[in-house]
Amino acid sequence: MRLYKKFALLSIFVTYFLIFLGGLVRVSGAGLGCPDWPKCFGRWIPPISASQLPPEFAPETFNFTLAWIEYINRLVGVLVGLVILVTAILALLYYRKKLHVLLSSLLAALIVAYQGWQGSRVVASELEPIVVSFHMIIAFVIISLLIYAALQAHYSDADTDKIGLFPRNTSLIVLVLWIGTIIQVLLGTTVRGAIEHANRDYPLLFGAELLAKVGAIDELHMATGILLVIALVVLSWYVLKKSHNISTLMRQTTWGIIVLSFAQLVIGHFLVFIGLPELVQLLHLWLASLLIGGLLLLFVSIQKGGRLANVD
Amino acid sequence: MSTNSLPKGFVFGIIFAFLLAVGAALVISAAHYSRANLPVLGSAPDFTLTERSGEPFSSEDMRGTLWLVDFIFTHCQAACPVMSGHMAELYKLYAHSDKIRFLSISVDPERDTMEVLQDYADKQGVTDNRWMFVRGEIDYIIEICEQGFMLPAENLPMGHSTKFVLVDQVGQIRGYYDALDDPDIDVLKTHIRELARQMK
Repeated sequence: MRLYKKFALLSIFVTYFLIFLGGLVRVSGAGLGCPDWPKCFGRWIPPISASQLPPEFAPETFNFTLAWIEYINRLVGVLVGLVILVTAILALLYYRKKLHVLLSSLLAALIVAYQGWQGSRVVASELEPIVVSFHMIIAFVIISLLIYAALQAHYSDADTDKIGLFPRNTSLIVLVLWIGTIIQVLLGTTVRGAIEHANRDYPLLFGAELLAKVGAIDELHMATGILLVIALVVLSWYVLKKSHNISTLMRQTTWGIIVLSFAQLVIGHFLVFIGLPELVQLLHLWLASLLIGGLLLLFVSIQKGGRLANVD
Repeated sequence: MSTNSLPKGFVFGIIFAFLLAVGAALVISAAHYSRANLPVLGSAPDFTLTERSGEPFSSEDMRGTLWLVDFIFTHCQAACPVMSGHMAELYKLYAHSDKIRFLSISVDPERDTMEVLQDYADKQGVTDNRWMFVRGEIDYIIEICEQGFMLPAENLPMGHSTKFVLVDQVGQIRGYYDALDDPDIDVLKTHIRELARQMK
């Protein structure tokens, strides 16, 4: 069981790293660094110079840096898939009777296999924004399943008295805000897709000029973002203030949500007013994935704690 | 998931996130550099020719923006329609920007009078001065082509080069692209974008 928990944590850690890498591929424009899949320019190890290209590939299409950025992302993807697979096998060994742990671990392993194949569709679509966004959303589903499985395993044999005592309906509010955050991320991916479409139509516009071509969806994303941050901060304050005997994990996560919410607000406005620097785009996306994970942790923990409080 | 180890985990997380951000910044820079690292292949030549409007057009007029240059003639039935087709595609694609302009130099000045060049421009859908069509004495054109842009100019007009030449805003030649090759045109678009990104 301890081994499962270690692998569950490891799988969360490496999946977040992979989400970061995937975002990095997107913002660095390396998505078509390898024009084929699963090989790269027809080779299992990407070429290091154009002279190594098979004849069916035009030398002009080869860029060493972009090819290796994309290929490292794929290699890390395989490693992450293996870690998740081992986690699922350990769930089968140790948590056969804990269906929440077992099913979410197995589902994560199945979806990660699908995600590998879906990566080929991303390349085949030549980075069609909706296909790329779908690839990212699946990654969010995987990380949510992994976090859920790890928490269920953690609380299945932990002293749940120490989770904390929470006011009624808190978990429902957290659930609503978790869904709200996911919708906000979907809006964000829509903005990102609109930017990429605008980029095709106006390839020599950059930053704020390009963003101006996106239209109202960007303003909507900003407005809902402000509302969501206010709601998250109020919720976090409520949890910290009104709960009793709250665990360190819960306290840290709640503070983490406050910090992440403000960071997202600042970064989001930075993107609009400074003009879409790639690193900031990447951080905005990645912090959103951390926020979703943090809220899920809060939701599961409050559910566990709340139920124990009622029994008491 | 021991709660006791969380503060350490937090510190580790912040350090890790910082290192990730630094690493990502380096990767993003490397990606930009790999696309925009265009060598300076030479200086575009000094010249003064005549535009289809009858106005003189000199290399000085090329300063401040990117230019895509080619050598064509309007009666050409083989390569030129493809070359001008690609040029027209780029002319339309970049209609929103004043960062790039286009220059077609006639290698058949006897037949390519100003009126003929104007008709040819109309056929390509040119409606403004972002795409210029120029002519001059054939010996002068050969000199500009061979010694200036370093392209072959034997047996003109048929023997003209099918390359596009990308010139930056300070008059430096930054790339040659096969105007008949679609992948090369895609590379050209990437290079134009990266050079335009560097312009303020």
